[in-house]
Amino acid sequence: MADALTRSMRASHVLVAILVIASLIFAVVGAALGDTFYLRLGTEALIFAGLALSVDILLGYTGLLSLGQALYFGLGAYVSALVLMVTPSFWAAMGATLAVAIVIGLVGGFIANRVRGVFFALITFGMAQVAAKVVYNTRALGASDGLIGVPIINVNFGFASVSSASPAGFFVLTLAFIFVLYALSAYLLDTPFGRLVIALKANERRVPFLGFSTVTPRLTAYVIAAVIAALSGALYPMLRGFVSPELLFFTTSGNAVITVVTGGVGTLVGALYGGILLTVLKSVVGSYTEHHLIVIGLLFMIAVIFLPRGLMGIVRPAIERMLEPRAKP
Amino acid sequence: MSAAIEYFQYVLAPQMLIGLVLGVAVILVALGLTIIFGLLDVINMSHGEFYALGAFIALALASIGLPFWLLLILVPLAMLPVGYIVERGLIQRVFHSGERHVTTLLLTFGLGLVMEDAFRLVFGPNPHKPETPISGAIDILGVFLPLYRLFLIVGGAVVVTLVALVVYRTRLGAMVRAAAFDKHMAASLGVPVQHVYAGAFAFGVALAGLAGVLLAPIYTVFPTMGRDFILMAFTVVIVGGMGSIAGVVVAGVLLTQVQAISSLYISPVWSDPIVFGIMVIMLMVRPQGLFGRLGHG
Repeated sequence: MADALTRSMRASHVLVAILVIASLIFAVVGAALGDTFYLRLGTEALIFAGLALSVDILLGYTGLLSLGQALYFGLGAYVSALVLMVTPSFWAAMGATLAVAIVIGLVGGFIANRVRGVFFALITFGMAQVAAKVVYNTRALGASDGLIGVPIINVNFGFASVSSASPAGFFVLTLAFIFVLYALSAYLLDTPFGRLVIALKANERRVPFLGFSTVTPRLTAYVIAAVIAALSGALYPMLRGFVSPELLFFTTSGNAVITVVTGGVGTLVGALYGGILLTVLKSVVGSYTEHHLIVIGLLFMIAVIFLPRGLMGIVRPAIERMLEPRAKP
Repeated sequence: MSAAIEYFQYVLAPQMLIGLVLGVAVILVALGLTIIFGLLDVINMSHGEFYALGAFIALALASIGLPFWLLLILVPLAMLPVGYIVERGLIQRVFHSGERHVTTLLLTFGLGLVMEDAFRLVFGPNPHKPETPISGAIDILGVFLPLYRLFLIVGGAVVVTLVALVVYRTRLGAMVRAAAFDKHMAASLGVPVQHVYAGAFAFGVALAGLAGVLLAPIYTVFPTMGRDFILMAFTVVIVGGMGSIAGVVVAGVLLTQVQAISSLYISPVWSDPIVFGIMVIMLMVRPQGLFGRLGHG
C-alpha cells in the first residue's frame, strides 16, 4: 500500500505520460503538415515549462517563493549562447551551463537562504534585478540588444542527430529534455532527501529535532532548482538564435510563478500543463485582442482565490482514485 | 579652496538636489507600501499600479477642467473606496490561508497585471505629460531649481509628517497600531479589526494615489509607470525596515543620494545595480531593515 505522497506522484506520472503522448501526436501532425509556427511555439512553451518546474521545486516542495528564478534561466541562456558562438556543440553548451549553474546556484543559495518567508521572495527578486541590470549594461554581452547570431547546431546522439533548425525534430528533442528534467526532479523528491525537503516545508523548526540539518537540504534544493532553470534556459538560444536581457527580467520570473500557481503548486506536472495552458491562452486570446494580460491576470487571480491547488488540484485526485486499488469496503 | 566650493556648487549640489526630489517621490510611494505591510503583513505587489491609477484619475479629472490643487484632495478621496473594496473583496479571501504571505503577494501581483493592461486599454500606451501647476524656478545658492520641485520637497515632507502624526499621535492611530500588534486583544477591547485592516489598506492606496497626482507633472503618466517606480520603493521599504515610517524616510533619502552621487562618479547606468545590491546585502545582514516595525514596539 503506497503512501499519499507516492500515490500523488504516480498520478503526476500518468498525467505526464498523457502529455508526452499528446505532444508526440502534435509533433507528427505538425511535421506532416509542414508546420513551423506552432511547433516553434510549442517548443518555447516546453522551455518555459522547464523554468516553471524549477519554481515548483522551490515553492511546492521546499516552501520557498522565488521571484527571481529568471536569474538562472537567463544565465543558462547566455552561457549556452556564448559557448555555441565559439563551438557549435550542444553537449559543450549544456556542460558549461551545468557547471556555471552549480557555482552560481551555490553562491545565490548561500545568500538567499539566510532569510525565510517573504524576505526570501524579496532577496531572490533583488538578486535577479542586480544580474539583469548588470547584463543590460554590459556591452560585451550585447547590452540591451542581447546576443544575436547563435548558429544552428546539430545535436549528435551517436546513433542519430537532430538539427536545431528542424521544427519537429527540435520540438521532440526539447520534449525529451524537459521530460528528463521532470523525471529527475520526481526521482530526487522521492528519495529520503526529497522527504527531508518536504519536511522542511511542513515544519522547519521540528526537522533539527529529528537529527537532520536544515541548511544542506535547503541549499541542495535551491541548487537543483537553479540547475533545472539554467538547463531549460540553455535551450532557448538554440530555438531562437538569440538571447535578450528580457529573459532575466522580472516578467520572466513572474510568468513562471503564474504558470506554477495556475497549473498546481507542488505537483511538478502542474508546471508543464500550466506552461502549455498559458502559451495556448496567450496565442488564442492574442489573436482577438492585444490585451491578453487582463485575461491571464484575472485567470491567475481566480486560481489564487478559488483553486489553491491549481488545475492539477481538480484533475489529479481523480487519477489518484483510479490508481488506488479498492482497499476499503 | 574656491575650486572645491565651485565643484560643490556646480556639480555635487545640483546632483544631490535631483536626488532629493527623486527621494521624496520614492518616499511618497513607499509610505503606503510600508503602512500596508506594517498593519496587514501584506506585500502589496499592485501598489505601483495604484500609484499609476492616481496619476490617471488626475489626468482624467484635469482634462475636464478641474484645477490641480483640488485634485490633491479629490484623487486620494476617490482612491479610499477603491482600496477598501480591494481589501474586503479580494485580499480578505486569501488573508486567512496558511501561507498568507505567498497568497496575498500572488493575488496582488495578478491584480497589478490586470490594472496595468486596463490602463493601456483605456488610456493607450503612450505617455501623457500633464501641465506643471507652478511654473518658474528659484536660485538656491546658485543652484537652479524649478519651483514645482521645491513644492514637491516641502509638500512631501508635510505629507510624511502628517501621516506619522496620525499613526503615532491620534486615537485612530493607536487603534490601528493595536490591531497590528495583537488583533485578538484589540478585538476584545472593541477595536473593529476588520474595518481597521480594510481602512489601513485604503489609506495606503490613497497615499499611492496622492503620490500619483504629485509626481505626474514631473515623471509623465504611462501604463507601466508603476512597475518602473515600485522596484525602488520596495528597496526603500526593505532597507528602511518593513512597516517603519522613519525607515522609509531615512532609507529613501540615503538610497536616492547614493544613486545620485554614484551616477556622477560611475556611469548612471550602474546606479540601479548598486541600489539593488545594497538591498540584497541589507537582507543578508539585517533582514528586519534599519528600523523596527510599525505595530511592534
